[in-house]
Amino acid sequence: MLTRLEGVRIIDPAHRAGGAVRDLYFRDRTIVAAPRDDEPVDRTWDCRGMIAMAGAIDLHTHIGGGKVNLARALLPEFAAAAPVPATDRCAPCTAGPAPSALATGYRYAAMGYTACFEPAMLPVNARQAHFEMGDTPIVDKGAYALLGNDDFLLRLLAGGAERQEIADYVGWTLHATQAMAIKVVNAGGISAFKFNQRSLDVDEAHVHYGITPRRVIAALARAVHDLGVPHPLHVHCSNLGVPGNVDSTLATIEAAEGLPIHLTHLQFHSYGSEGDRKFSSAAARVAEVVNASPHVTVDVGQIMFGQTVTCSGDSMMQHRNARHGRPPKWIVMDIECDAGCGVVPFRYRDRDFVNALQWAIGLELFLLVEDPWRIFLTTDHPNGGPFWSYPHLIKLLMDRSFRNDVLARIHPDAAALSNLRSITREYTLDEIATMTRAAPAQILGLTDRGHLGVGAAADIVVYEPHPDPEVMFAAPRHVFKDGVLVAERGEIRAVTRGSLHTVKPDFDRGIERKLEPWFARYQTQSMHSFVIGDDEVCECGHSARLIAHRCVRHG
Amino acid sequence: MSPARTTTCPFCGLLCDDLEVDPADAKRAPRNACARGRDAYESLAAVDGPPQVAGRAVGLDAALDAAAALLRPLRRPLIGGLDVDIAGMRAILALARHLGAVVDHVSAAKQRNLRALQEFGAITTTFSEVRNRADLLLLVGDGWHRRFPRFIERIVAVDSDLFGPPSRRRIVTLNPIGRDTKAALPQDALHLALDVVPEQLPVLIGMLTAMVDDRPVDPRRSGAVAPALLERCVAWMREARYGVVVWTAADLEGSHAELTVQAITRCIRVLNGATRFAAMPLAGTDGDLTANAVQTWQSGVGLPACYGDGRVVADPERFASPAVLARGEADALIWVSSLGQAAIPAFDAGPTIVFGRADRVFDRSPDVFVPVATPGVDAAGHLVRGDKVVTLRLPAVRASDRPSVATALRGLLDRLGPPC
Repeated sequence: MLTRLEGVRIIDPAHRAGGAVRDLYFRDRTIVAAPRDDEPVDRTWDCRGMIAMAGAIDLHTHIGGGKVNLARALLPEFAAAAPVPATDRCAPCTAGPAPSALATGYRYAAMGYTACFEPAMLPVNARQAHFEMGDTPIVDKGAYALLGNDDFLLRLLAGGAERQEIADYVGWTLHATQAMAIKVVNAGGISAFKFNQRSLDVDEAHVHYGITPRRVIAALARAVHDLGVPHPLHVHCSNLGVPGNVDSTLATIEAAEGLPIHLTHLQFHSYGSEGDRKFSSAAARVAEVVNASPHVTVDVGQIMFGQTVTCSGDSMMQHRNARHGRPPKWIVMDIECDAGCGVVPFRYRDRDFVNALQWAIGLELFLLVEDPWRIFLTTDHPNGGPFWSYPHLIKLLMDRSFRNDVLARIHPDAAALSNLRSITREYTLDEIATMTRAAPAQILGLTDRGHLGVGAAADIVVYEPHPDPEVMFAAPRHVFKDGVLVAERGEIRAVTRGSLHTVKPDFDRGIERKLEPWFARYQTQSMHSFVIGDDEVCECGHSARLIAHRCVRHG
Repeated sequence: MSPARTTTCPFCGLLCDDLEVDPADAKRAPRNACARGRDAYESLAAVDGPPQVAGRAVGLDAALDAAAALLRPLRRPLIGGLDVDIAGMRAILALARHLGAVVDHVSAAKQRNLRALQEFGAITTTFSEVRNRADLLLLVGDGWHRRFPRFIERIVAVDSDLFGPPSRRRIVTLNPIGRDTKAALPQDALHLALDVVPEQLPVLIGMLTAMVDDRPVDPRRSGAVAPALLERCVAWMREARYGVVVWTAADLEGSHAELTVQAITRCIRVLNGATRFAAMPLAGTDGDLTANAVQTWQSGVGLPACYGDGRVVADPERFASPAVLARGEADALIWVSSLGQAAIPAFDAGPTIVFGRADRVFDRSPDVFVPVATPGVDAAGHLVRGDKVVTLRLPAVRASDRPSVATALRGLLDRLGPPC
C-alpha cells in the first residue's frame, strides 16, 4: 500500500532537511521516493501545516527485566492510584512509577516513540527481560547485556587473559542473551559489594580479584570495539550519586583509552563537593571534557520532581543510598555470580536542596554539551522520572523563560549555586529531532531508523505545531509504526508488535570449552539452559521479528 | 546407544536442569529426578485420556465448543489454579480480560513474602551465590528439605572453590520441634540446632535481631532454646562473611507468617550494616512466581486481581478465591492447572471448566475437562525458578497430542467471539 503525507514540513537532521515542505511517501513498512505520476496513491493524509519527524528512539529506558518487575511489585499503592482503563484497542493495566509493559508500549507510541532500549539486561535474567519486552506493544525493542561484575570475566581479567579471549566471551554473551550492546554498571563494584566492599573508586583494587574498574572498562571498551558492535560500551560510572564523583567520571572517560564510550545518566555522575553542604554542580567541568572528546557520547538521566522508583544494577550504591528513599522500603539483590540489583523508591522535591540541584545539573549538562549528536534525551526512566515527562523536559530545553520560571521555584540555595539562569541557549526543533531520533539511531547502528530518507522504516511522527512544545510533543497528530497508523492525538489506534534488535558479531566458539565447565562447576544451570536461541527469543515476543545488525570487526 | 538427552524438571521451584531422559523409553522418569519428580513423571506417562464434557469422552473441538457455550452468557468467572508456564499465563490473562474474570493462584503462601516485601523491602540472593559464597546458612522450618528435595544436594552440599579453597559451611537449623532434618544436611557441615515450636519462631528471630544489634533481650523468652545456643548463633551470624536465611513461606505458621518474614528482613538489614547477609525465600513450585511475574509485568499489579469493568484491580483480600467463592460472586469456575494437582474448590453456582493435568482424578466430573500438556513433560514451556531471577526453558521430553494451556485457551478465546 502506498501512502502519501501531503505537504508536510520535514525535520530530518540526518539529511539536513531542516524545514523543507514536501510530500512524504511510504509503501507498506518503508519510506519510498515520490512515485511516477501515473502510479496510484492508496491513501493520502493531509498534513499541510504539520511537521514530520522520524519516530523517536529512547536509548536508555528501564522497560523490562527482573528489577523493573520488582519495582512494580514493591509499590502496589502507586499502581492502584494510576489505572489505565481498557479502550476498544488497549487492555486494562496500570502506570505507576514502574509502569506495566502494556502501559509502557501504549504511552511511548502515543508520544511518537517507536523504539526503546532496555539498558541493563542481566545475562542470567535475559529470558525474563525478553518476555517483558515481548509484552511491550508497538515499539521496537533491544537490550544491552550487563558485564563487568560477572565472576567469569573478572577471573579472566585477574588471570591476565588475552584480548582475543575477552572479545570471544563478550561476543558469546551478545549471542547467548540476544543483546544489542554491552553495558557495564559500577565496574567491579557490584561484585565487590558481595565481598563486603562498600565503595570502589576507578583506581581502587577489587578486594578479591585485585583488579580496578579502570581495567574492566578498558577491557570491555576494547572488546566491544574489536567485535565491531555498533554501540560503544555503555557505561554507568563508579560512585553513582556520591558528592565529588566528577573525578571518577572523568577518570572513566580516560579509562576507555580513546575508544568510543557512552556515559549514561551523566547527571548522577556530575557532582562536586564544594560549598557549605559539600554538594555542588560539576556539570561545566564534565561538559568541557565531553565537548573536547569526540569519542564520548552521553545521555543525561534528568530528574523530574515527583514520586518515582529507581531500579539499578548497582546494588552497592543502591544499598548505600537507600536511606534517602521514600517511601522507606527497598530491595537489594546479589545475583548468580553475574550481577546484582537495587530498587529504591524516590520522591524528588523541588524544595529539597539536593534534588533541586540535581535537576539543575541535568539541565546544565543538556545546555553546555554543544553537539546534539552526542547527547541524548533521557530521564533514565524511571530512575530520574517517568518517560512521559519528556514533553515537559523538551519544553525546559526549548523555552528559556519557562526554564527560568521553574528555576525561581526550586530551593533558593540550589538555584543560587547553579549557573542555569545565565545560560541562554534554547534548543531548536532540529536539535530536539537530532537528540531524540537521528543521533540515537546513529550511535546504535540502526541504519534504517531515526531518519526519513528513502529506504528507512516508515516510523513517522506527524506533529501539529503549537507554541507550547510540551503540548506539541505530548500527543502527536499521527504516529506511524512500520507504516501502520498506531496513534492519533494521544489515542492508540492499532496495537502492533515491534521488532527485536540484536547484534551477532563473529567470535570464536572455542570459548565454550571454558564456559561449559564453568557453568557445570559454579552455576546452578547448564550452559545449554542459559543460551537463548533465535526461535526462542521470537517466541518471547509473540513471534516478533528479529533484526540482527551488522558488526564490522576491528583489530 | 545414543547419548542421554538432558531436561528440566517442572515439579518444584528448583527447576533442576540436570535430568537425563532415557533415550530408549521416554515414558520412564528421567534419571536424577527426586522422588517427587519421579512420581509426577510416571503418573503423567500412565494416562492418556481424551477431553470430557459432563464425564463423556469427546474431541478437543467439542470440549472447547461446550466450554465456550457455557461461558458466553456469564459475567464474572473466577479463573483459579494458574499453576502454568509463561505462555499459559499469558493466555490466561488474555482470557481474563475477555471475560472480565477474577484471577487467583492456587498457592496463597506466596502472599506472605510479597506482603512483607511491600511493607519493608528485602535483601535477597540467588542459588549460585549461595552455592559459591554462603559460609553460613540459617534454615528456617523444614520446607527446604521437604518441599525442595534436591536443595541441599544441588546448592549446599557443593564444595565450591570459586573464591578460594572450600571451607566447611556453618548451618543453623530452626526446625519445628520433632522434625529432625539433620540427616538431610551435608555431612561435613558444622551444625547448630535451634528447634522451636512454630509460634515461637518470630520471637526467636526478634531476639536474634536484637542481639546482633547489641540491644538487650529477655533470655526467658527463648523458650526451649538455651540462651547459650542463641549466643552461639549470634556469634556465627556476626562472623559470617556471607550469611543466608532460607525459608519457605508455606511452612510458616499461619497467623505469624508475615511477622516472621518481616522479622527475618529486619534482622538481615541490621547484619548488612557490618557484613553481608541475604534472604532466600524458596518458592517457585506450582508456577507461583511465574504467574505473579507475568501478571505483574503485563498489568503492573499482582495477584489476585479482577479484570471486570475494563480495569484491573489487585486486592489480596477481596479477590482471594476462597473469599470470592464465599461471597458467591463467581458465576463460573475455570480451573487452569498444568503443573500441580491441588484440589479444585467445591463450586455449585455455575459451570466448572477444568484445563488440568492429564492424570487428574475427579470426585465429580466437571462440566468440561480438557487434559493439557505439562510444560517440561509433554510440551515445551518456560518457568521462573525459585530464586526469582532465572527463567528456564523446559523442553518437552515426550511427544503428545495434548494441547498446551496456551493452545487450548487460544482455542477457547477464538470461540468466544468479541467481548460483550
